[in-house]
This record gives sequence, structure tokens and C-alpha cells, in this order.
Amino acid sequence: MSEIHHLSIKQLRDLIQRRDASVTEITESFLNRIRQCDDKIKAFLTVEEEPALAQAAQLDRQLASGESKNGLLTGIPLAIKDNIVTQGVRTTCASRILENYIPPYDATVMSRLKESGAILLGKTNCDEFAMGSSTENSAFFPTRNPWDLERVPGGSSGGSAAAVAVGEAPGALGSDTGGSIRQPAAFCGTVGLKPTYGRVSRYGLVAFASSLDQIGPVGNSVSDVALLLQAIAGSDPQDSTSAARPVEDYLGEIDQEVKGLKIGVPKEWFGSGLDGQIEQSLRAAIKKLEGLGCSLLEVSMPQTEYAISTYYVIAPAEASSNLARYDGVRYGHRSADQTDLDSMFKSTRSEGFGEEVKRRIMIGTYVLSAGYYDAYFIKASKVRTLLRNDYHEAFKKVDLLVGPTTPSLPFKIGEKKTDPLEMYLMDIYTVTANLAGIPGLSLPCGFSQEGLPIGLQIQAPYFQEARLLNLAHTLEQELAVQKQELAV
Amino acid sequence: MPIDTREVEKIAELAHLKFDPQELERFVGHFQQILEYFTQLETVSTGAVSTENVQYAHQAVEGKNRATPMREDEVRSSLPVATALDNAPESSEDHFQVPPVIE
Repeated sequence: MSEIHHLSIKQLRDLIQRRDASVTEITESFLNRIRQCDDKIKAFLTVEEEPALAQAAQLDRQLASGESKNGLLTGIPLAIKDNIVTQGVRTTCASRILENYIPPYDATVMSRLKESGAILLGKTNCDEFAMGSSTENSAFFPTRNPWDLERVPGGSSGGSAAAVAVGEAPGALGSDTGGSIRQPAAFCGTVGLKPTYGRVSRYGLVAFASSLDQIGPVGNSVSDVALLLQAIAGSDPQDSTSAARPVEDYLGEIDQEVKGLKIGVPKEWFGSGLDGQIEQSLRAAIKKLEGLGCSLLEVSMPQTEYAISTYYVIAPAEASSNLARYDGVRYGHRSADQTDLDSMFKSTRSEGFGEEVKRRIMIGTYVLSAGYYDAYFIKASKVRTLLRNDYHEAFKKVDLLVGPTTPSLPFKIGEKKTDPLEMYLMDIYTVTANLAGIPGLSLPCGFSQEGLPIGLQIQAPYFQEARLLNLAHTLEQELAVQKQELAV
Repeated sequence: MPIDTREVEKIAELAHLKFDPQELERFVGHFQQILEYFTQLETVSTGAVSTENVQYAHQAVEGKNRATPMREDEVRSSLPVATALDNAPESSEDHFQVPPVIE
């Protein structure tokens, strides 16, 4: 048997069910791995060592006495991105402004994981308020890519993806506003899913851009991601944008036949901006789909070139409004540099927010301000509709779309940090799914010559997660990507 | 359209942010670059296109109307005051405390 920390969630469940390992042994194994690697990877902002072990011991007692409910995730330790609130456990959003914030409630996804029997291992690093594509915008420290410690893990859910890749946790939750689950999943060689807008409750996800944000799972296999989605999906009275639609049996449908599926390959996604090694790896993987009996069809997504502009008008506009709540009154940092209420607000926000967060608040305030609202915000909202129409047209012809997750391989720490626009352009293949509200998944499809992971993205129509996971799982088995040596 | 330091200061005022001169200079440069990139949106023809949001995508899929979901207006328990005040930088009795607003 390979080491516990390299087992899948599915394998861990089997161990627990057969009593071949106790929940305490499993939890210890991941905590050990964190002790062993996290000095180098820096994936965690908070590790809940004692509470995790206490919960594990309790579950072991319940399992021994037969009192344990047969939860979907009984005894599985998980890592949670630090912008998802956890009752009694510090939740910082990787921001100084929330450095000491202890939430008085659980996000709905946390309540659901707890009901499923999962154990909270700790909270993972991210770009501050999920704004970034490299985890370098964390106010505390950058996270490192487990395949090359000099490189970024992607972002904003870089801590979650790195922790899963290196075996510090068998699975994790992240959030995806413009690619923040899929891009780090691609950079770290893990599977990451952004569900349909409304599939998973956003209650307790610290708001960045409310029409784009969605919580989703990160795992080492498609079946683990399916299992995690099963646990967290569904309607929630606390989130009026959550869908009432019943949740499908994702694991049950994962092995369906994919023969006959029509797969679209958008020509605009293979343009000049795409790295040659990524293109080569994708083309090889797409060819395998034909071998599986799928038919390939070239489709067109003409608005792709406007996606970054559209996204970087709309997301900051929503962020500028959502982040108005950080004023030093009810929670979070309050500046000592103040003479009156107004100066207290300004000093608090200026000290508490990092550079990228301030930049997005400023862009958002600008595009919503009198005189610019129509030219930017309304214009971008219209282009967003056109982009949705692109998807609508494409999905009349095909069942699913495939393409790259990222235009480049994981870049060096510091390489793009001084050029915000260059960093924004990293999101070109992911933001479109958020703007349209559809689901997207990143699947490892190979490694570059330098030993860096490459991700392939599959997108599906609204609420077609079952079919999306089905194709991803089948392709995953067919590709059988040989993992290279981790850097730790 | 070019943006200058004064304009950025005005936006900062609206956003309740302040920048030191060095920060401001760097900021104006990046701001300018990003706004220039956004000008590509002007080339997209969007005459009669609606700005309808995706937030109720699931209702659209199910063919339901897109009215805001409502719930019964029932009295429910909320966060206890003491708990709500736990994270407050300053509080007094049952209140959040802020610098004096009235002289």
C-alpha cells in the first residue's frame, strides 16, 4: 500500500470502512505531511491540528460502537480556502484587514461537509480576497508550486491546489470567480471544478464578485472531485441564487459510455497566445477523445478576445461594492490613524487592503462612476450577453467543449507581479465560463519538458456537471498521465 | 481616454482610499494601461443587446420566470448581540463604537 497521504478520497473511505486504518491514523498522516512539506510549500494559513485530531478520535469511537452515521466523507480530512467562513476558525481571505477575524457561523458548504463527516484540516492560502492568478497577492506569504518551488501554484486558490497536489490534504475546496479553481488546478497537476453558477451555495463565501463567484472542489482525481461536489451541491435557503434543481448522482454516472458525444473545439482558444507545449499536449489528448468514439467539431467563440476586458470591468465593479463593508466598524482591522469617522474609514481601508485589492476597488469605482457607467459597465454587461450567446450557439451543435485551462505554463514567482495587465491575461480561457455561468473543469493532461503540469479544460452547458465529470473521468483513465517527481 | 492624478484622487475619495505620492504615481500608470486595454470594448457592436444577468441562469434553464425568489416574512432568531460584537474593534454596551460623528 502506498503512503496514506497519497491515497485518493475513495481509497481512504475504503480503508475506513474496512477498518484497515483509523480516522486518527489518516488524519495524523496528513498532519505529518503538512509538518514535513508546508515550510516549503506554504499552502496553509491555519492548521487545525488539535481540533482535527479530536474530531478524528470522536469519529473512531463512533465507528467502533456502531453509532457512526454512514456519511459520504466520514473521516476524510479536507483543506478549505481561507475565504470560506468556518465557525470559530480564523478566516482571513489572506488579507490584513481580516487578519484576526473569527467567523460566528459556518458557510453552507462547511455545514454540509461536517454533516458528511469530513474533518477540517486547515485553511489554505490564496490571493487576497481571491483577487489574483498566482497566490502572490496573499498579504502573508506566497505559496509555491509543488513541482518547482521557484514557480507560482496559480491562483487565487493556490493553497488548496498545492496542498492537494503534494498530499497535505486528499481534497480541498476553492472558489472560482474568473478561473481561481481551474487555473491553480492546472498549474499544480490536480483536478479542479467550477460548478454552474447556482449549483453550490455561496452563503459564507466572502463575496468578491457576486454574479461570478462559485465554490468548487479540488482533488487528485475526477472521481474525488465528483464525490466532493456531491457533498456540497444543492439549493440553500440562505442563498437565493442557489438552484432548486435536484442534485444528480455524479459518482453513479461517472462511468457512463462517452461514445457518440459531440465535442466542440473552439478555434479562438488555440490562437497565437497559447504556449506551444500546452497546445501539443492538448492536441494529443483531444485525439484520444476521437479514439473513445467522440466526434470532434470545430466551433467558434468570437467574443473570446473581449473576455478579459469584460471580466475586468464587471468583477471589479462588483468587488468595489462588496468590499465597501470593510470599514473598521463591525469586524476586521481598525486604523489608529484617525481624527474622525471619515479618516477612520480611509486609514483602515488603506492600511488593511493590499495593492491589487485597492486597484480593483479603484477600477470598479471608476467604471461605476457618473460619466463612465454606460461606457464601461453597461457596455461590458452587453458584451457578456454576447459571450453567453456564443456558448448558446456552440451548445446547439455540441455536448461539451474542450480547450486549454491556461495560456502558459506555471511562471516564476515575481515574474508577472509588477505588470497587472499581463497577470489579468492569464485568465483568458477561464473567465468566459464565469461570465456565462456554465461549469468548467481542469484535468491534468501531461507534463512539459521542464516537468511542469499541463491542464486541459472541459466546459459544459448549465447543470451538466454529471456529463462533464463523466467525460473528464473517461479521458483521465485513457490518458493515464504519469506523474513526475514532486519537488518535496 | 487619458486619466490623470487628479482623477485618480477623486476616485480614491469615492472609494474611501488614500495613496501616498509614490503609490499614486505607480497607480496612475497601471490604471492608464488597463483603461487603454478596455477601449477594445468600443469596437464591439452591442446596439440592442440586453444586459440581463446570469444570476438566474438556473431559472432560465428551467423556463421559469426570473422574479427574485421570495420567502415568507417570518420572525426568526438572529445572531446574539454579544456574538455579533465579538469581532468589533471597539464596542460599548450593546453597540459598535465609532469616533464621534457630531461635535
